[in-house]
Formats: sequence, C-alpha cells, structure tokens
Amino acid sequence: MRTWLKIALCLFASLMFAHSGLASNFKETPEFAELVAAGKLPPVAERLPGEPRVLNLPELGLKPGRHGGAMRLLMGKQKDIRMMTVYGYGRLVGYDRNLNLVPDIVKSYDVEEGRIFTFHLRKGHKWSDGHPFTSADFEYYWKDVANNHELSRGGPRARMLVDGKPPVFEVIDETTVRYTWDKPNANFLFALSGGRPLYIYMPAHYLKQFHASYQDPEKLAEMVKAAAVRNWVSLHIRRGRQYRPENPQLPTLQPWMNTTTPPSQQFIFRRNPYYHRVDEAGRQLPYIDKVVVGLGSSKMIPAKTGSGDADLQARYLRFDNYTFLKESEKRKGFNVRLWRIARGSQVALFPNLNAKDPVWRKLLQDVRFRRALSLAIDRHEINQVVYYGLIRESANTVLPDSPLFRPAYQNAWAKYDISKANKLLNDIGMTRRNADGIRLMSTGEPLEVVVDTAGESTEQTDVLELIQDSWAKIGVKLISRSSQRDIFRKRISSGLTVMSVWTGLENAIPSPQMSPMELAPTSQQQLQWPMWGLYSDTNGRAGTPPSLEEALELQKLNTAWERSTNDKERTEIWHKMLSIYTDQVFSIGIVNGSLQPVVVSNTLNNVPEKGFYNWSPGAYFGMYMPDTFWFSKRAN
Amino acid sequence: MLHYIFKRILIMIPTLLLISMLVFLLIELPPGDYLESYIAELQMQGETVDPQHIEFLRKEYGLDKPVLERYVLWIYGMTHGDFGYSFEYQMPVSRVVGDRMFLTTLLSVSTIIFTWLVAFPIGIYSATHQYSWGDYGLTFIGLIGLATPNFLLALVLLYLANIWFGTSIGGIMDPEFLNQPMSWAKLKSILSHLWIPVIVIGTSGTAGMIRRLRANLLDELQKQYVITARAKGLHPFRSLMKYPLRMSLNFFIADIGNILPNIISGSVLVAIVLSLETTGPVLVAALQSQDMYLAGSFMMFLATLSVVGVLVSDIALAILDPRIRLQGGSTK
Amino acid sequence: MNREKTPPSEAETEHFVSQAPFDLQSIEQLSEDQEKLYLASQWTLMWWKFKRHRLAVVSGLFLIALYLSVLISEFLAPYNLHSRHVDHIYAPPQAIHLFHDGSFVGPFVYATNFKLDMTNLSRVYTENRTKIYPIRFLCRGDDYKLWGQFESNLHLFCPAEGSTLFLLGTDRLGRDVLSRIIYGARISLTISLLGVTVTFLLGITFGGIAGYYGGVVDLVIQRIIEVIQSLPTIPLWLVLAAIMPVTWSPLLVYFGITIILGLLDWTGLARAVRSKLLSLREEDYVLAAQLMGATPRRIIGRHLIPGFMSHLIASATISIPTMILGETALSFLKLGLRPPITSWGVLLVEAQNINVVVLYPWLMLPVVPVIMVIIAFSFLGDGLRDAADPYK
Repeated sequence: MRTWLKIALCLFASLMFAHSGLASNFKETPEFAELVAAGKLPPVAERLPGEPRVLNLPELGLKPGRHGGAMRLLMGKQKDIRMMTVYGYGRLVGYDRNLNLVPDIVKSYDVEEGRIFTFHLRKGHKWSDGHPFTSADFEYYWKDVANNHELSRGGPRARMLVDGKPPVFEVIDETTVRYTWDKPNANFLFALSGGRPLYIYMPAHYLKQFHASYQDPEKLAEMVKAAAVRNWVSLHIRRGRQYRPENPQLPTLQPWMNTTTPPSQQFIFRRNPYYHRVDEAGRQLPYIDKVVVGLGSSKMIPAKTGSGDADLQARYLRFDNYTFLKESEKRKGFNVRLWRIARGSQVALFPNLNAKDPVWRKLLQDVRFRRALSLAIDRHEINQVVYYGLIRESANTVLPDSPLFRPAYQNAWAKYDISKANKLLNDIGMTRRNADGIRLMSTGEPLEVVVDTAGESTEQTDVLELIQDSWAKIGVKLISRSSQRDIFRKRISSGLTVMSVWTGLENAIPSPQMSPMELAPTSQQQLQWPMWGLYSDTNGRAGTPPSLEEALELQKLNTAWERSTNDKERTEIWHKMLSIYTDQVFSIGIVNGSLQPVVVSNTLNNVPEKGFYNWSPGAYFGMYMPDTFWFSKRAN
Repeated sequence: MLHYIFKRILIMIPTLLLISMLVFLLIELPPGDYLESYIAELQMQGETVDPQHIEFLRKEYGLDKPVLERYVLWIYGMTHGDFGYSFEYQMPVSRVVGDRMFLTTLLSVSTIIFTWLVAFPIGIYSATHQYSWGDYGLTFIGLIGLATPNFLLALVLLYLANIWFGTSIGGIMDPEFLNQPMSWAKLKSILSHLWIPVIVIGTSGTAGMIRRLRANLLDELQKQYVITARAKGLHPFRSLMKYPLRMSLNFFIADIGNILPNIISGSVLVAIVLSLETTGPVLVAALQSQDMYLAGSFMMFLATLSVVGVLVSDIALAILDPRIRLQGGSTK
Repeated sequence: MNREKTPPSEAETEHFVSQAPFDLQSIEQLSEDQEKLYLASQWTLMWWKFKRHRLAVVSGLFLIALYLSVLISEFLAPYNLHSRHVDHIYAPPQAIHLFHDGSFVGPFVYATNFKLDMTNLSRVYTENRTKIYPIRFLCRGDDYKLWGQFESNLHLFCPAEGSTLFLLGTDRLGRDVLSRIIYGARISLTISLLGVTVTFLLGITFGGIAGYYGGVVDLVIQRIIEVIQSLPTIPLWLVLAAIMPVTWSPLLVYFGITIILGLLDWTGLARAVRSKLLSLREEDYVLAAQLMGATPRRIIGRHLIPGFMSHLIASATISIPTMILGETALSFLKLGLRPPITSWGVLLVEAQNINVVVLYPWLMLPVVPVIMVIIAFSFLGDGLRDAADPYK
C-alpha cells in the first residue's frame, strides 16, 4: 500500500517537473476525454501544434483554471456574432494586455527595413477540423482570392497596398511565408492584429470546393443553385466569411467555433479542439467549453444583464446603466466593473473645415474661433453632471496611459475661461451683438452654430445642452439637430453641416508603432475635414487639397511616419502631430477616459478588475484573452 | 352566390397588384439603400469599409439595376414562390420569416382568444346595463388597457414578472429551449412567457372590442322584435341570446379580415421590447436598414392576408346574412 | 284628455256647442315635456341625450379645461421647459404637506438633502424635516414670453425663494417633470387635433365623391381605400416617417407627423361617409334639390353632410386616442418628434428603459395624462355617438 503511494507520488512529481520544463505533457480536456477514448478525436498532444503558444498564467498575474462551463453573452443582432471573432482574438500577431505586439498564431515573425515581413508558422498547427494550417493557406488567399479578378475585382485590398503597389509574396517552405514591399509598410502588423483583422490566409482545403479554378464547373453550378446564390463568387464569399462566422462548416483558428446555422436567436460556440494556446500546466485552452450568444433587442440588454442572464457583458451597456446594474449585483451573483474607454474624447465637437458656406468656412478655419469655442466649455460641470466627476476633462488627445501622453496636450485650450474666449471672438471682429446678446457674423446674421448629431445617444444631446449654456455666455448660440447615421455622415462630407458631435480619437492609447493617421487628413470619414481626407485617400482623384498650413503639415508628418523605420523617429513625429492637433483644436474634446460597465459573473475568473474597453488595439475583451477565463463552479 | 364570389375574387387581382406597386414604391422612397446603412453601421463600429467590396455587393444584390426592372423581377419571383433575398440575413426571405411564423401565429391566436374571452362578458354586461356604474367601471378598465402605451406596459410587466416570478427577461421561451425540437417542457416554457405579450397586446384590442360589441348590441336591443319577445314574456336571458347577440356578432365576422394583420402589426412594438422571436421585430429592422426585399415581401404578405381575410369575411357574411347577399353591399 | 261629459241618459239633450276655440290637436294635447321634446331642434335633442352619459359630460369638461390650459402653459408650469437644475438631477417628487409639527402651515415642501453615493453612483435625496418652504402662489419665477409676445414671469405657483418645487421629480438634467408634462400637452394635444382635421378633410372629400357619384369613381376610390387599409399600420408609419427628411426643422417634422397620423385614419371615415351618402342621396329632399338645379357640391356640402355631421364628429373623437398613441409609438421608433420638441410621446420614450423603471419611476408619470386624455376622449366619443342619433 505504502509503496503504491510512493510510486504514485513519484510519478506525479516527475510529471510536474516535466510540465514546468517543456510542457510536453498535456492534459486531456475533460469534454473530449470520451471522444479521444473512442478514437474519434486524436489526443491532445496530437491536436496541439508542435510548438503551442504556452501561456504562463501565474506570470501574467492570472489564476490557472479548470475546464468546463458555458459562458453566456448577449448580443443585439445576428450580425453581432462577429464579436466572437473579436473577443476570441486569435490573430497572426496580437496585442497583449500591456499593449505589446506579440506573435500568436504565428510562432514568430521578422521585419526587415520595415518592408520585408517573414512569418514563421507553428509546425503541426491545425484548423478546427483537424486539417493542417500551412503556407498553402496563405498562398491560396494571395493567389486564388486576393489576385483572382473575379473574387477581388480591383485586385488586393487597399490595406495590402503601399502607394498603390502590392507586395511580392513568397512561400519559403511549408511553415514560412514572406511579404515584401518596395517601401516600408508601417501599418501592416497593426492591421493583422485588429479587432477586425486583415485576413491574409483562408482555409484552402475547405474553400477550394467553391472555387472555379479547383472545382468541376458542373458540380459548382449545382452548389450555386442549391445555395440560391448568383454565382460561384458569391458562394465562395458566403462560405468563406472568417470575420462573421456564419458558416459552421468553415474551419477556424479561433478559440471557439460556431455550431449554429443562422437564422437563430441563439448561437452556440464550442471549443476548437485544435486551438494553439495552452496553459503552463498543459491544459489546452480555452478553459470554457462553450459560449452561448443570445440575441435580443439591444435596448433590453441592460435589463437582461441585470437579471443575471449574462456571464460577461459590456456590449450595449452604457455608463448610465451602472447604478441599475449595481443594485442587482448582489441578488444575481455578478459584479459590475468599470473599465476605461480608450477614446480621445467621450464626446467631441468637430468643426467642419470643409463647410460649403464660405462665410462659415472662413470662420471655422480661423483657429481663434475654434479655440474660443473650446475655452467656453465648462468641462468640469459636464463631468460632474453626466459622469459623477469620475472622468477626465481634456482636449481630444491621447490618454495618460499612452507613452505619448503629455499634460500639455490634455490641457490645450481646455480650461474654462470665458473672458479669454470673449477676447478671441472680439479679435476676430465679431463684436456686434443682437438683442438676445448673440454675436453677429460678418453677414449680420446671428452666430448660431448648428451642431448635427447622429441622434443615437442621449449622452451627446445632454452634453450639448450643457455646452449651450456656457456658449451663450460668449454670445454663441448652439442649436442641436439630430438625424440618422447615414444622413449624418452624408451631410458632413457634402459640407452641409457646420459642426458635428461624435466621439474623439478612436485609439487614444497608442504607442509610437501605431499609426497617427487619425490626426491627419487621411480619410473621408473624418468629420472635421472630409474633403481633405478624401483627397489624400484617393491620391488626389477626388476631394480638395488641404488649404490650412497646419493640416498640410499633419499630412506630411503622417507620411513621414509611414516611411519611418525606427521608434525614435516615430515618437518624435507623434509628438509633433499631437501638439499641432491639440494646439489647433481641430476637434474640440470635452472629457475622456470615460467608463464602460463590465458585468462579470462571480464565478468567472481571470477577468481583470480594471481594463481598457477598446476596439483597436484591444479587440474589447480580446486583449485580455477570454480563452483564459474560467468558471470556478456553476449552479447550472 | 357563386357569381358574387367570383366577382369578389376578380376584383382582388387589381387590388393586389396595386398593393404591390404601393409597397414597392414605399420601400424605394426613403433616400439611400441598404448598403448605405450598412456602411454607416460599419463606420460606427470604427471598422473600415472597402469601397471595392461595397461596389461588389451593390452588383451582387442587384441594387445597380433600375427600379422598374427590380419591381418586375420581384413580382415575377413572388408568383413563383421566390420572395427575394435578405441582405441583412444573407439568406432567402422565406427562410428568415419561416422560422418565426409559428410563434407569430401562436401569439396572435392566443391574443385573439384572450381578447374575446375578456371582451365578450364585459360587452354584454355593458350593453344590458347601459349607463350603470358597472358599465362605466368596466369600460374604464378596458380603456386603461387601450390608453397605456404598449411599449411602456410591456417593459414594466416584464420587469415585474422577472422580480416576482423569475421569468427570464425577453424572449418567448427560456434560452435553453431555443433551437430545440418541440417538447412538453418547451411548451410550458413558452406558455410561461406568453402571458405578458398576450396581456399587453390583448388589452389594447379589448377596449375596442368591448365598445363595438356594446354599440352593436345596444342597436339590436332597441329593435322591436326584442320588445315583442320581452312582451311575450320570454326570459330576459333567452331574449338576449336568441337573436340580438347573434345579430350583433356579425361584426366579429366582418372583422376576421382585419384581426390577424392588425395583431401582427400591432404587436410589433411589444415584440421589439420583449425581444420576441416573432416576425414583427424582423420587419421593423428590415424597414430601418432598408433590407428591401425582406421588408417588401413581408408587407406584401400581411397585405395579402388582410385582403384574403376581407374576402373570406365578406363571403361568410353573405352566407350568414341574406340582406347583404341580396344587396351585394359591403361590410360594416 | 278633457272629454265632454256624456249627458244623462234620459234627459233631453240640448244641442251643445263648445265655446272653447277649436284646437285641432286637442285630442293629442302635448304635455309640457313632450312639447319641449317635439319642438326641440336636433342639436338640442342631442345635447339632452348626451347629458345622460354622465361620464361623457365630465370628460368633455375635462378636455375643454385641458385644451384651454395649453394656451397658458407658461403660466401654469412652475418652471420653464428647458430650465435645468444641476444640483437636483434625478430628484424624486417632493411631497406637499399642510401641517408641520401638528400645526397648519398651508401648502409647503420640506427641504431636501442631497448625497452622492459613489459606490452605486447614484444621487440620494432625503427630506429634511426641519426646514419648511411654503409654496408661493401667483408669484414671480422663470421669465417667459407668452404667445411669443408678452414678456412675463408670473406663475400660478412657484417654490419659495431659495428652494425647489419638483412635484413630479426631475429628469437626468434636473428638469422639472411636471413643467415638462404641462408643456408637452401643447404638442400632444394639438397634434391629434390637426391629425383629425387631416383625416376629416381626406375622409369627407374622398368618401363624398365616392358616395355621391358612385359607379366607376366609387369603384376606384373603394379600391384605393382597400389597398391602404390592407397595409399594416406600423410598417406604414415607419416608411412614411423614413421618407420625411431628417433635416427638416422640428416644426416641419411636427406637421409631417400630423399628416402621417391623419393618413392613417381617413379610410375608415371615408367609408362611413360613402355608405351614409349612398343611403341619404335616395332621400326626397336630395331629389328636390337636384330638381331645383343645385350643384353636386352644394348638395353634398349643404344637404348631405350636415345630415350626418354628428356621426362624423363622434367617430373623429374616437379616433383621437389612436393619434395620441400613434405619436408615442412613432417617437418610440425614433421616427416621431425629436427633442428639443417636447411631447408626451417624447417624454415617455425617454422613460423607456430599465433604469427608469427601477430607479426613477417618476419619469414614467407622463403616461398618466396620456391615459387620462385617451379615456376622456373615448367616453366623450361614446357619449357623442349615442347622442348622434337622438331619435332612438
């Protein structure tokens, strides 16, 4: 009896040592034990890649967990199941919670001269159906999808081009691929790591059956007919959507794979048996067996969450739901955390520098006017009234959590100062006022700033209402007008609006390696200079060139960043851009670092107390690796 | 009689054609198209939009074709059982709606039954006790149901049901039964959720029903045959049930055509609030995102339902009431 | 009535000549009541019949009062529509008290204490029973311009100096709910009236044309009505509201909504008009008018429509509740009126979330006037309909 015990102990100890050394001894996932025993599924060691990504959870400050459980999420629309791809965050390269870029699906990558990218895949890595994931999948995407004139009419996607030119693609061997551009492509890795990533690979073995180059035309025609689509192109696209996982047959590299065919009110995602991450004890991730995504009206999601219907929920919860959620916290066995939203400003005003009306355009392009408007906002009051004083009064700029933060940016023209604002306006020459105390413009009309809103958030209209009062003190009348998203955008880009309200910088926790393009006219979507953005986006084919020196400067700096190859240079460029952008008040930020309620079941572990709820970088929960979340024990 | 039916059916054809034109016109009229709302939505998420991809989709969905051509294709398809393609769901319209039809029907039928069960006794009581406090009181209660905005009532009831009975919020069954085959437990789960929408939707219809029944019955009760019957010493109950009530029920039949479409469209707001898996929320979402074939075919379906319903009720009335048959007149 | 006495049987009968003036109707002499009844005009009769429906009378008076109040909302509301109170966000309703420490003080409110609960992020208000603030009447408060003309600051009642008076609480910006309800009545009550007007115009025109001319015209109009009636209402609103450009000014949106609401109901009315006309045009007096050379317009307008005006009014009254509810439904779908226009629908939609139900239930109070008005209109409509045919 005793010897037995001794032997067992010895064995156990040796196993433990083996783990800590090489992690070569993997533990079978309980859910699959039966299947493996029956020979229907290979054992875990064969399922994992030869060199899996080992996550040492204690080192990351996390608790090693146990397998099992079902995590319930709530979503609004069927399309929202793409959030599972976002949360899953299986990417070629991705950001970790400290915002360092690390290899994930690839074992490693090399970058030479900022333009030659070599990816080394993990040997023996498999798709969720057990088929090997190799350079062939990259080749299929590049040759048969991106460069197939039917599947991609205009050639490879814009994000794959540098100055309009595609890279040279090479397959070095089964696990190595290389992309070479003529010039540095500073955005490439960031694009691969995005919440909605740039996909440069596709499951070739599955999708070839839908591809005209590989499939017998008659059989293909049959499949097209059976699927009731127009041609093989749409069939291929429909079957091959990786981002929105609507096709349960499509192999994936994500931690969980969809098993429900739409339409449905509930989607069940099961663990991917071939997932490439493993914890330090040899347990294949994810810990959680399945994720149940329930759909329902997005308006009801706070209520449903409050009644304990979700184990992890942030989407569709707003800051003002916090109090309600907090009330039901104890009763329903969850807790509410407040994560930071990494936006440059929770609510920001965008003067339309491309306004059609010449008088307004001139005024809006006058920096004194923009500064005056910014100075005349009582950010403290707004913070107190709407956000309980919990967030930061700031211009539209990066957060202190970014290595690029400087207090000067935060405070640029952001201190409430009516007399200074009045002086600026007087300097412009708008000294006459009407009977209501509203200044008169050069045309003699009262200075009424119409602010367009997309009409979706009461938060924005509330803030506008507060701004209205303080602007009245400098003789500016604010009128808010709400519309709908698409019309909102259209009116801005055609210059019909004078000013609009939206959120500030999308990524306000950048590192120097991330693109500063949001600060320069680069896209038509930018609310303060849509025409300048369009001009730069289309290489001058449409839109108008920037007519403000500072905007031109920003554009030049952005190009310089794209061409730069070292971090020192990038950091310098970032700082130049941030200081121009905030000093010129190209958008009027109000408060940032606002809070996102995150509801976490009491039984769910490893969800951080504090975090960033951010789209890119971050992929919302993705950065915090939901595959390492686990349930301690569950009633159901 | 046959001649009458034949004539009614013949008239239906131009009516349906006219409806289809109007429906198509209505879904075409709002500015923009599905892709524009799609782009706007992507941008809201901070996701980038590839113009190439949008161009591809526009061709793929046939949105580049002229309106008339699309209309003709749509109509042609519908006569062949093809209701078009839903952009939002990426699948044929019939599949999107199909799954939700059962619950929609269940909800509608339950609501109709609820309405009748409540309205009937109250209506009769109100008519026979005109201007009494009972009449006032019951009408008042019925009216409160009518007067409360459905969406608010739904929200409050939902919350209270969750607090008091632990009914899960939203949905028409507990989540674990979704996508499961029908079973006793599933039916029970459905029933335990169904009462909220039935009450909310039902209450708004009940008041109308009570008042119409009351008015019709009052008209009948004042007719001379009733007085004669009473004078002959017929028991009041019998003298009420035998003829007046039957006559006043004609409006129920006249109503058949309108009930179902009305309930389906009236339940839309409630279904949105309660996240019911019925057709209403799909329709509203389709209209809002300009998923035009889904919206169009669905509206067409509802319209056809009511046209056929009116036809059925006309015929039924003609059979039941010789006066209508002989005059060939319309319904009430 | 007063029959002559029969002469005694065996007495000699004298030829009797009554001295009383000859009265043709002496046999059926009317009592005073009956006389009143028979001589009364149709409208008088209807009024009598209407009076029997006691709730209808009460409802009518209530509605008249309400519509009159719309003229002087500024005076009735203690605060202005948009005045905010940053220190009183989500304040619950303040109760009016009459007695303090057992002695009569007159209407007053207690002071409120405010505490910020930072763990739950909520604002906690408690009544401070030591300090009392009597409510002032006919007092000076927020400035306003009555009818856009007369500047004034007179209010029916206002808080004591340095105190607040939120009888129905405040919303997320600290705006007084009661004042907003009073101002909201202005939009909600008038929009339904305008909507009914649209209904009326369309219904009478189309119904009148169809009913009077009959034949092909009738057939075409009947088909159009059938088409419109067969379209489900809510989707129809959605589409119509989506057509309305979002860049319209609030005022235009307001009129757009009235038209949409009006478009909804006219078909029913048109049908009623048509069938009434069909039967009325067979009457002799119409023939007489035709023979005298009256134009169709004159016949419809002068002879036929007054014949069933009462019915029309009754049915219009009944359709007003649908309009008020329609406005709230459109607001719910974000297609109706939008802030800064304030209607009951807008207020209710702002209350349409779980936070309000659980934490700030007083924001749902705008539902009370909605219910009251709808019920009042329904009773009034019932009464009017019963009265519409007074000869029954």
